[in-house]
Amino acid sequence: MADGAAKEGQEWRLTLPLTLFFVAFFVGPLLLLIGISFQAERQMTGVLGLNQYAVFLGDSLNLDVLSNTLILGVKATALCLIFGYPLAWLITRVSARMQALLIFLVILPIVTSVVVRTFAWIVILGRRGIVNDAIIAMGLSATPLRLLFNEAGVVIVLTQVQLPLMVLPLVTVLQRIDPNLASASQALGAGAWRTFFKITLPLSMPGIIAGTILTYTACVSAFVTQSLIGGSRLLYMPMMIFQQAMDLQNWPFAAAISVLFMISVLLIVGLLVALSRSRAARLYG
Amino acid sequence: MFDITRRHLLAGTAAAAGLSLLPRTAFAAEELVAATFGGTWANVHKQILAPYFSKKSGATVVQSPMLATEQIAKLTAAKGAQPPFDVAMLDDGPNIAAIDAGLVEKFDPSKAPNFASLAPGFKTEYGPAITMQAIGIAYNPKTVKTPPTSWADLWKPEYKGRVGITSLASTLGLAFLLDINRLEGGTEASMEPAFKKLKTLLPNLAAVSANFGAHGALFQQNEIDIGVQNFNFAEELKAKGVPIEFVRVSTGTPAWKTTMHVVKGALKPDLAYSYIDSQLSAEVQGEMQKSPWNVIPTNSKVPFDGLVASKIAKTPADLEKMVFFDWKKVNQGRAEWTAQFNRDIRA
Repeated sequence: MADGAAKEGQEWRLTLPLTLFFVAFFVGPLLLLIGISFQAERQMTGVLGLNQYAVFLGDSLNLDVLSNTLILGVKATALCLIFGYPLAWLITRVSARMQALLIFLVILPIVTSVVVRTFAWIVILGRRGIVNDAIIAMGLSATPLRLLFNEAGVVIVLTQVQLPLMVLPLVTVLQRIDPNLASASQALGAGAWRTFFKITLPLSMPGIIAGTILTYTACVSAFVTQSLIGGSRLLYMPMMIFQQAMDLQNWPFAAAISVLFMISVLLIVGLLVALSRSRAARLYG
Repeated sequence: MFDITRRHLLAGTAAAAGLSLLPRTAFAAEELVAATFGGTWANVHKQILAPYFSKKSGATVVQSPMLATEQIAKLTAAKGAQPPFDVAMLDDGPNIAAIDAGLVEKFDPSKAPNFASLAPGFKTEYGPAITMQAIGIAYNPKTVKTPPTSWADLWKPEYKGRVGITSLASTLGLAFLLDINRLEGGTEASMEPAFKKLKTLLPNLAAVSANFGAHGALFQQNEIDIGVQNFNFAEELKAKGVPIEFVRVSTGTPAWKTTMHVVKGALKPDLAYSYIDSQLSAEVQGEMQKSPWNVIPTNSKVPFDGLVASKIAKTPADLEKMVFFDWKKVNQGRAEWTAQFNRDIRA
């Protein structure tokens, strides 16, 4: 008995390999990144200071790029939620075979190479692409619409690419909701919409929050999609970091803006987590 | 303290990378790793240079396509440890940066017999120029009926929303900006004229590609009808059946050299020399000059032929008449210009 308790107390040791892995390949490089961001000079001479941060925060263009990136994430995530929720709901209602098929279709974008996927979108959204050809053939517009190289294009592609990250957590949560609850609600006289808003939606909140966090962080950092679909006239944080690190070899500045970008995204994620806690507290407390 | 952590981490990463390479190095002891560019370069290096080099040296080569700036970033990161590749391929600008940062070795001509056959302008203390890159205007002959003759044509109102340029991440984008600046009376020390002129091009721009790879796709997908392009890349697209024509601009052809270097601390320095020597040989350069590649030769034993002769230069003297820039000054201004470009070009 005492023996068992002692073993139980030592179970944390099982996490040691992963902890070491994380320290070596995640915490270590992260600390290194933060360290480099305090280098005052581009050549990393060892002089420390907050110059890089001051330079970034002192330029309104940089702040615009940061806010544009954060807002881009909000737009794409909102679309993912709007399209993903009904889809996830449908997946929990169909037969097992149909469910497997739908889930396969949903995860298909994840298993395709991001570059191939993005080039496919260039073909679809291009001036002479499928969408524009269809619009012109139907007489909806005389000239091709500009779907590439603008924010709308980036949002459309991000929505498709990141949708699985929203749908999968939603499916998991929706499957766990007891169908009797909805029946009970209806038996008590609530309509379908009222049942949805009072029962299903609140109970699926953990899935919505989890999906939102995953989708949001993936959207704001989607370097390939942002640069290939957006082109250079739309500048987002990942591209800006790449420019500074690779094109200009200014690692301290690249590190500083990476840190600021990370903090901004973490703040948003923290906000969502806080929201989920308060929701859960209200529902189950 | 900080320095120690960094060195340890780098060593750790290098060890991890070494582990993953073990099976390969154990079985094929003689293997060179060489950087190349994407597009035409990745093709000619795989199809022409690699087999020639293997036959000559008995070794194999892994060619890794990377932008010049990416190569510098990787070599800088590995400084003090094993470099990730042995041969660097760089453009004017990045090559100066690499030399200044001590990332490449001084070149020993005695180890590469073909080096002697290069025209003087193509020999440097740190390695040979393997080609010249020349830029001009590419256009879609189906939609652009009057062939353009100068950069000014890109500003014509009839090309509203149809023009494509690239960002300053590529030498192509930089050279275009520098040439506009030159024609507007600026110098590498004063780029205001270029940026002022660039702003007036905004209504005509259909796209500013984020990198060179994306630029070719713009022509292929009919996203742009007219724009700046590199001679080799335009001709290769044309050979693939893409409706595209390349013309030199009447105000002088902006050009730069592409160089090859033995990386400092190269694991296989002898193979690196042998590889670069192969690239300089008359056989390889003659083959690369053929369509669809049209790589401009630098070995004086290779007479200009085909499209290179008809469109770019009949004699080596013609190459010297092209427009060159002061890449040392360009490197100094690059960060500031990139910031300005980002600001001005933003949609």
